[in-house]
Parts: sequence; C-alpha cells; structure tokens
Amino acid sequence: MSSLLKTVMGCLLLAAAASAAAQEMNKGGPTTLYDRIGGESKLRATMHEFVLIMESDDRINFTFANTDLKKFEQLLFEQLCNITGGGCKYTGRDMYTAHAKLNINNAEFNALAEDLYEAFDREHVPYRLQNKVVALLAPMQRDVVKDHLVPQDSPPKPK
Amino acid sequence: MICSRALRAVVVRVCALGALLLCGQAATADNLVGSDEGKFLLTAGFNDLDGAGGGGLVPLAFISGYGSSDSWGANAHFTDIQLKDFQLRAFGVAVGALDRVEVSYTRHEFDVTGTALDGLGVSQDIVGVKVKLLGNAVYGQDSWLPQLAVGAEYHKNEGIDNAAAVGLAGVVSPKQLGATSDHGTDYYIAATKIFLAQSIVVNAVLRATKANEFGLLGFGGDLKNTYSYKPEGTVAYLLTRHLAVGSEVRTRPHNLAVDDETTAYDVFLGWAPTKNLSLVAAYLNIGGVLGPATGVNRHQDGPYISIQAGF
Repeated sequence: MSSLLKTVMGCLLLAAAASAAAQEMNKGGPTTLYDRIGGESKLRATMHEFVLIMESDDRINFTFANTDLKKFEQLLFEQLCNITGGGCKYTGRDMYTAHAKLNINNAEFNALAEDLYEAFDREHVPYRLQNKVVALLAPMQRDVVKDHLVPQDSPPKPK
Repeated sequence: MICSRALRAVVVRVCALGALLLCGQAATADNLVGSDEGKFLLTAGFNDLDGAGGGGLVPLAFISGYGSSDSWGANAHFTDIQLKDFQLRAFGVAVGALDRVEVSYTRHEFDVTGTALDGLGVSQDIVGVKVKLLGNAVYGQDSWLPQLAVGAEYHKNEGIDNAAAVGLAGVVSPKQLGATSDHGTDYYIAATKIFLAQSIVVNAVLRATKANEFGLLGFGGDLKNTYSYKPEGTVAYLLTRHLAVGSEVRTRPHNLAVDDETTAYDVFLGWAPTKNLSLVAAYLNIGGVLGPATGVNRHQDGPYISIQAGF
C-alpha cells in the first residue's frame, strides 16, 4: 500500500473516531447503566425472566423452596436498579444476612450469574452491558458464598 | 540470575504449600465424585502449547477444568500448528482440583516439512504443575488485585529422528546441535485480571527458562546456558459469553548458535460452545527457526488449531 493511501486512510479513521466521540458528547452528559440497559420496563422484564429461569434451574432452585417469588422478583429489581444507577431504594436484607443459612457455594453463585446472563439474552440486552451489571454483582460473592458450612440455627453475623 | 533462582525457589515452595492446601480443602469438599462444572464459560477449557491452562502460547492464572473450588475438572487437547517449514502437533491432558492445583501432561511431535532438513523429527514430553496463590479474576471486580498463580513445567526431549535422511547421520539429540541438556524445567508466575465492565482480559507472565524453541531444541546452549527471565502476555476481548478474540506475545531466550529464536506471537479466536468443548483458531508467528543451520531465514508463521474437550 502506498504511503499516501495509508495517510488518507489514517485521516479518515481519525475523522470517523472524532465524529463518533462528538456524537457521544452531544447526547448531553453521561447516562446511567440503568438507562443504557433500557430502564424500568426492560429491567423488570429481565428480572421476571431471571426468576423463571432460576425456578427451573435444578442447580439452584432448591434455595427458593420457601421463597415468595413475587417479592423476590421485586427485591431483585430494586437491587439491580439501585446498583446500576436507577435511583431505586433496595428494601431487602444485606447479602450476608439474606444468604446466611443457605450454604451457597461458588458453583451455585456462578449458576445464578449464568441464569442472569440468560435472562438478559432473552431480553436482547447487549452482552457488553450484561458484563457491566455482572461486574457490579461479582464482588457480592464474598458475602453470599460461605467458606465453611453455616449451622442452620446459627444467628446472622452482626453488621 | 539471582532473580530466576529466587523465582524457582518460590515456585517449588508454593507447589509444596499448594499440595498441603489441597489436602485441607479436600477434607471439607463434598462434590468430589463428579465435577460440578461450576466455573464460568471461557475461564477453563483451554490449554496452551505446553499443556497448562491458558491460551495458545501463554499460560493464564486460571486452573484447568470447569470444577469449582469444591470440585474438580479435566481437559484434553489436540493442537495442530502448520508453519511454513515446520509442523508441530501437541496433545495432552490437564486435571484441576478445587480451583487450586493443576497437573498437566503434554507431548509435542515436531516435524520439518521444508528446507534442507525436510523429514527431520523431534519429540518431547512436558509435565506441568500450577498452583493458584490468591485473588479471583472473576469475583475481584472491585479490586486491583489480579488472580495469581505459579507453575513449573518439566520438559524431556525424546531426541531427533530421521537425521540420517537429511545428511546428519548420527545426530540423535539436540545436544549435538549445541544444546547443553535434553531436559529442563521452566518456572513461571502468571497474573490474570478480567476487567468485566470493559469485557477485557489482561494476563502477564514472567517465565524463567532455558528452553530452546519450547524445548524442542533442548535446553541451554553454546551462546547461553543460564536461566533467562522472559515476559509473556495476553490481551483478550470478550465478544460473547462463548467467544473471545485476542493476542498473545511470548518472548524467548536465544541460547543456540544454529537457531535464530526470537519472540513468538499470535492472534486468536477462542470459542466455547459448551463447557465440554472448546476450540482455538489462531495465526501464529514464531520468527526464524534454525535459520543459521538451514540458510532459510524467513519467519515461520501459520495457522494454529486446537480442539479441547473436558468438564
């Protein structure tokens, strides 16, 4: 390729990048991850799918045997809305307390994350945005997964 | 040299510590009968050229097999590399336990398919062990700390075949080409970080090695017979839950006068349709090979295909 052609192509690429950047800025400030996912309707639809998928997932559905699934779905919506910048208040228990007696292991924690990816897929949320959500949830592993079996009658850890 | 000696001492001690940790963890794990296949897609299921859990050229800090920290897993691979004048076939198996320790065996069968040495063959066996030290590349999204692992790879060169056919009658060992030994051990430390919010994986490795052309031409040589301390790296972009695209670089020592060994690099696609099957399609360039001996100085590049099955 001639050096002139390379220079011209380089300039075109730069111009394209600059114009894309300008378009991004014209949108008026940074949008939240919540908005980029598709806001309340999309997140509620995803959480509905999520609960359906988990319910039929034999790897983890035993943990929901005594769970009010309607309330669970609402709490999941609140929590994901909250951490993605949607401004919701999460009214559930903290992650350590909520999972204190479930003896969740890493495989079960990961299975739940796989189900969340699947739910986002079904709602056609782009994979790179799914990863941004899971990046916010992944550190919760330290509170959800216990490194030892918790006796069923042990009191929750004081916070 | 002090550095590589220190690295070796650390790796050996950590491997011993890893064995102890493994015994302690096994006592409390309850999923040891079958694998729970509890890891995320793409975080297992791939083995590098030397058999360690990783990509094509470079190991990752991940432990082979999809078993979680309460379970185990295993992975078998078959790899075919067609360079301009050489072909390398690698096959082997790796077992990972408790997401903590990995043991691997791989065999290399290397054939010259061009130049004046057409028909020459070399083979070697590689036994590897890797221990995850600390950090978690998936869960540690709120931390700068990468997942860290150390490993050792013992290579035994099984000698040169068919040398008489190319006018090198009597040459049966890489030692006759200038290598100091037909066996050697690489030691490495790997740091792997998944930037999940950016869908990017970054991996850095430091390897203490005497290997010539991955050990295919022996260890140490007439130019240098001490450990070299060589960096390697991987960058990958996660396209989907099943597909990653990326590039690897592996710098290598130059110990042999008959060889013109230099940096190897590749671009790759890694595809995991399920946790039981992974495929790597890459384009590999390992630079000149045996140029001073054959007079053929061109870069040796070509396709790298690897099929891997496991759980």
